[in-house]
Amino acid sequence: MSKRKLKDDHLPVGDSITQVQKILRERFCHQKLPEKPEGVEAQHKHLLELLKRTAIHGESNSVLIVGPRGAGKTMLLNCVLRDLLEDKDVQKNLLQVHLNGLLQTDDRIALKEITRQLHLENAVGDKVFGSFAENLAFLLEALKKGDRSSSRPVLFVLDEFDLFAHHKNQTLLYNLFDVSQSAQAPVAVVGLTCRLDVLELLEKRVKSRFSHRQIHLLSSLTFSQYLERVRAQLSLPGSFPDSKFAQDWNGGIETLCEDKSVEEVLQRHFNSSTDFRSIQMLLMLCLSRVSVAKPTIKPADLLEASRLCLSDAKANMLHGLSILELCLIIAMKHLNDVYEGEPFNLQMVHNEFKKFLHRKSNSMYNFDQPVIMKAFEHLQQLELIRPVDGSSAKTQREYQLMRLMLDHSQIMEALQKYPQCPTDVKQWAMSAFG
Amino acid sequence: TPRHATPSIPSRTLPARQPTNVLEEARTRLHVSSVPESLPCREQEFQDIYSFVESKIIDSTGGCMYISGVPGTGKTATVHEVMRCLQHAADMDEIPPFHFIEINGMKMTDPHQAYVQILQKLTGQKATADHAAALLEKRFSNPAPRKETTVLLVDELDLLWTRKQNVMYNLFDWPTRRHARLVVLTIANTMDLPERIMINRVASRLGLTRMSFQPYSFKQLQQIIMSRLNKVKAFEEDALQLVSRKVAALSGDARRCLDICRRATEICEHSGADPSATGLVGMSHVMEALNEMFSSAYITAIKCASVQEQLFLRAVIAEFRRLGLEEATFQQVFVQHQALCRVEGLQPISVSEGLTVCQRLGACRLLLLEPSRLGVLQRVRLNVSQDDVLYALKSE
Repeated sequence: MSKRKLKDDHLPVGDSITQVQKILRERFCHQKLPEKPEGVEAQHKHLLELLKRTAIHGESNSVLIVGPRGAGKTMLLNCVLRDLLEDKDVQKNLLQVHLNGLLQTDDRIALKEITRQLHLENAVGDKVFGSFAENLAFLLEALKKGDRSSSRPVLFVLDEFDLFAHHKNQTLLYNLFDVSQSAQAPVAVVGLTCRLDVLELLEKRVKSRFSHRQIHLLSSLTFSQYLERVRAQLSLPGSFPDSKFAQDWNGGIETLCEDKSVEEVLQRHFNSSTDFRSIQMLLMLCLSRVSVAKPTIKPADLLEASRLCLSDAKANMLHGLSILELCLIIAMKHLNDVYEGEPFNLQMVHNEFKKFLHRKSNSMYNFDQPVIMKAFEHLQQLELIRPVDGSSAKTQREYQLMRLMLDHSQIMEALQKYPQCPTDVKQWAMSAFG
Repeated sequence: TPRHATPSIPSRTLPARQPTNVLEEARTRLHVSSVPESLPCREQEFQDIYSFVESKIIDSTGGCMYISGVPGTGKTATVHEVMRCLQHAADMDEIPPFHFIEINGMKMTDPHQAYVQILQKLTGQKATADHAAALLEKRFSNPAPRKETTVLLVDELDLLWTRKQNVMYNLFDWPTRRHARLVVLTIANTMDLPERIMINRVASRLGLTRMSFQPYSFKQLQQIIMSRLNKVKAFEEDALQLVSRKVAALSGDARRCLDICRRATEICEHSGADPSATGLVGMSHVMEALNEMFSSAYITAIKCASVQEQLFLRAVIAEFRRLGLEEATFQQVFVQHQALCRVEGLQPISVSEGLTVCQRLGACRLLLLEPSRLGVLQRVRLNVSQDDVLYALKSE
């Protein structure tokens, strides 16, 4: 063993880099479960105890895990399930049913899926027989026949729980919660949702049957914890084959995180959002710049990745417009300034544009109406302008009322960066009243 | 295709573990599913339903009864208990034998499935809804020798509403037939359901035998818990009183009361330093359980939001104050947001980023938003009161 380790100790740089890419990509993109969930120990314990009681004592329970997107709800549940299934007794007995509100869009599909995952007797292979009504009756009958101490406990996981509350009559939720509150087969219903007002979506009788146990994943992270998390996310584990390389890499990450400019960038991301996913997005962009020629992450990489993440989408679109389209946008901005956000139509914009052309004797932007129309339509297709609701089909195109979907700061910023913007256009944009 | 599939859940390899200490024992007893033999605090209702059904069985006539009450007041449990007692009496030959079946509006996919389920429970036949309706019609209108009285319990009656109301009409019309010998007990939540959703000929057939279950008072809730615990000493007196008073003040839902007590036993179990030697469930444990189950998470969510998200909420409030309205477009709020950024000494954010922040607040329903396609034109409203937001942002 030790001999092999010695031999493996020095991989060529290329292999090490491949390993690094593999390990870190698994972490960032495949949501690899951490050894221990961080910052949610209390919630982990609560959920583990609860599911353990269902699995071992046959106690029926229901619980909702609530937290903003990217707060680690699924990660928490998966960690708990992993820890739970380490118990041999639990592993042999627990039946799991996983449903997702985005896939099981109505109760009919959800029921088939439940029947399939439970391998009930009206399912052969992956096919479920019988009508919707028969499926429901069959499932309820099956659950009713079970009892607390002798039948296998069933764990229902409802991802995107709030979408299940939009099903007709909330039949599925009523029945699941009803089973959990009556002397039938032991079930645990775990719902995951990001909506804080999820209980208000439930009907009164469904709400009464829910046990009102909620696990909130709201933790206020300080910036130093955030930095620590970034470091942990980028560091290589001790089991990395080339220990020398891993040491160097981790040292490099250490210095990276202490860099002032990096800290500034991270602070900015921290201010905007504290969830796992946005960090992983950023780090993924950094990681993709690591290669054999450049085997470490430099502060410049992080700055570049951050620039990519934070760039304004609409401003980027403005850079790709023609001069005429840009002029129309500026005319719209002036109209918005003068008439305080009232909607406009093509004629008004054209008039405004003509006023600009009149002041310039040697104008090179003297376009015909059809050309302007075309440009206007292009802007509409890019959804930089959109028609005011209700005036769509009936009116002629020139007179259709429109609104500008850009903020003034975006227009001004785009003008600064627009490649070879004519000076007179720039001045026109700056002038207060066109 | 599986023709004769038997519905069942596979059984465990080992039977479930039995409770080992007092708290676990208490928890098992307090579970909503362990309904006691006789329900405390519902003696009067029990008596009324019992005598109604008993008289119908003895006279071998039919009739309807409408039972209403908010969820968790023991309607279904009481009816089940009545049926158990009557069944016992029938076994003792004190009253003629009868047949009890029940359907639940929420447990069927379509109101017309009621016919299918009733027929199946009466005779074991399988039929389509139309055929089943015809068969039932025949069964209840024709005389037959040696027919038993049938007691039909219809839970969640409001779900059986259809546009023509023919399901409800039939359910209430059958008992009026001479040969039907059918007693229909219906349960729903609202007291004025017959007046509200039923047309006249349905409501008149339902008749005036009605009963409403009042929400439990705090004394009754306390008695319920005591009777469940049945001399298992796991709770302090005061703690029980606190739970029952709190629940009685809010809803009078017995399920809620039991759930809170169950949660309190868990908290007690974990708070003890030595898990084997846990004491009684005290006030502090109950308080914690109550807080967990009744408090809303909005304020914590705002406190835990990122800096920009908090700033955006402040900008929303500032804009509402300026406009004097409870609604503003994203564009208007964003102007305030940029100003606040400058005041706070933060780098101003781009519109895209601002929209992301706004969407995140919308996803967890702190804000109510229009569809995101509208971009900067989408209107923003608060889903929490302004005071809550200000309280959450200030107390740092």
